[in-house]
Amino acid sequence: MTQLEIIQILAGFIGSMGFAVLFNIRGKRLIAAAIGGLLSWLLFVVLGTYITSEPVRYFIVALIISTYAEVMARLLKSPTTTFITTSLIPLIPGGSLYYTMAHIFQGNMDTFLQKAIYTLQLTSALALGIIVSTALAKIFYGEIKNIKKMHQ
Amino acid sequence: MEKLFCYAMDIGEQMLISGAEVHRVEESISRMCHAFGAIRVDVFIITTSMVVTVHTSDNKTYTQTRRVTSTNTNYEKLHRLNQLSREICEKHPAEQEIEKELNDAVNCNKFPVWLEFVCYSVIAGAFTLFFGGKIMDALVSLMVGGVVRLGTIFFDKIISNNIFRKFFSTVMATFLAFFAVEFRWIENVDMVIIGNIMPLIPGIGLTNALRDLFTGDSIAGLLRTIEAVLTALAIAAGYFLIAVLGGFAI
Repeated sequence: MTQLEIIQILAGFIGSMGFAVLFNIRGKRLIAAAIGGLLSWLLFVVLGTYITSEPVRYFIVALIISTYAEVMARLLKSPTTTFITTSLIPLIPGGSLYYTMAHIFQGNMDTFLQKAIYTLQLTSALALGIIVSTALAKIFYGEIKNIKKMHQ
Repeated sequence: MEKLFCYAMDIGEQMLISGAEVHRVEESISRMCHAFGAIRVDVFIITTSMVVTVHTSDNKTYTQTRRVTSTNTNYEKLHRLNQLSREICEKHPAEQEIEKELNDAVNCNKFPVWLEFVCYSVIAGAFTLFFGGKIMDALVSLMVGGVVRLGTIFFDKIISNNIFRKFFSTVMATFLAFFAVEFRWIENVDMVIIGNIMPLIPGIGLTNALRDLFTGDSIAGLLRTIEAVLTALAIAAGYFLIAVLGGFAI
């Protein structure tokens, strides 16, 4: 891990915790949300040694972290949104969005298109990860309910 | 039944305001009404309005419509309302008890304003470092974040439109960033602006939008997606305004 990566992991943790406070999450749920933020960038960095494509890593991290959020939601009996929205904060492509804007302004059409497509790629990878995890959770949870019903 | 139905609507409305997905609100209202003894419940909810009709076993029909104009993400409130709705379905508590818990949830503690202020600044500073800014960038970003937060407290009072609020926040952040460059505190504006747009980017909006879209609430999901896109455009517009007006070449 480089120095920047360590800073990023810590900053991701602090950022997620900050958002959790702004959204008025309390107690154990605050800790779970902040740890989600830490894990998400940690995973992103660790996966970097195996996979170079950032959108692919975004997808995998989003999938794992959304699943973490689903598990936490069941454990702490709170809506999943609480943990997804805060844990995935470090993955929001703010930098890439900013450079997209800056390049339109400077009139570099080539780099603008490149950055715009890249931002879209990252956002859709993030979205796909969340969707797959939500779908899996629905199927899995529905299945558990069915089994419970059968045993009653 | 009428009173209980009203409670179910109140709980649902407050859940929607505090940031729940449409799917969750529809399901909670439907379950609560069934627990109150309805034989059929028709729920239609989008992010800005709610229509619910309940049929009872004594052949009565109740309908209520609610218009929801504001959202204010508050997950502690959402958590309590969610607990309350579960409790209603499982234990069928008395009316007074529901009313008391509903009031408790709506007026639940918030973190003190100064802590929110500190957190907002820290988020801006942390994400400046995150995207590769230097220590000085982060310090400036922290201060800019603080000023922007003070600004939002003011804007929240005079502007009800969320998209305009984000526009003005971006205008402030961009202006202050260019200002700091003029004074040679920092070399360029990039990192400070990135740190300060992170709290404004509609990440939460988009996440909820997608979850709504793919759990079958296409209308609500589309509305939220459009809202997220518009917010992103408002942020870009705020940045452009300052960059053009100031005639700053980047």
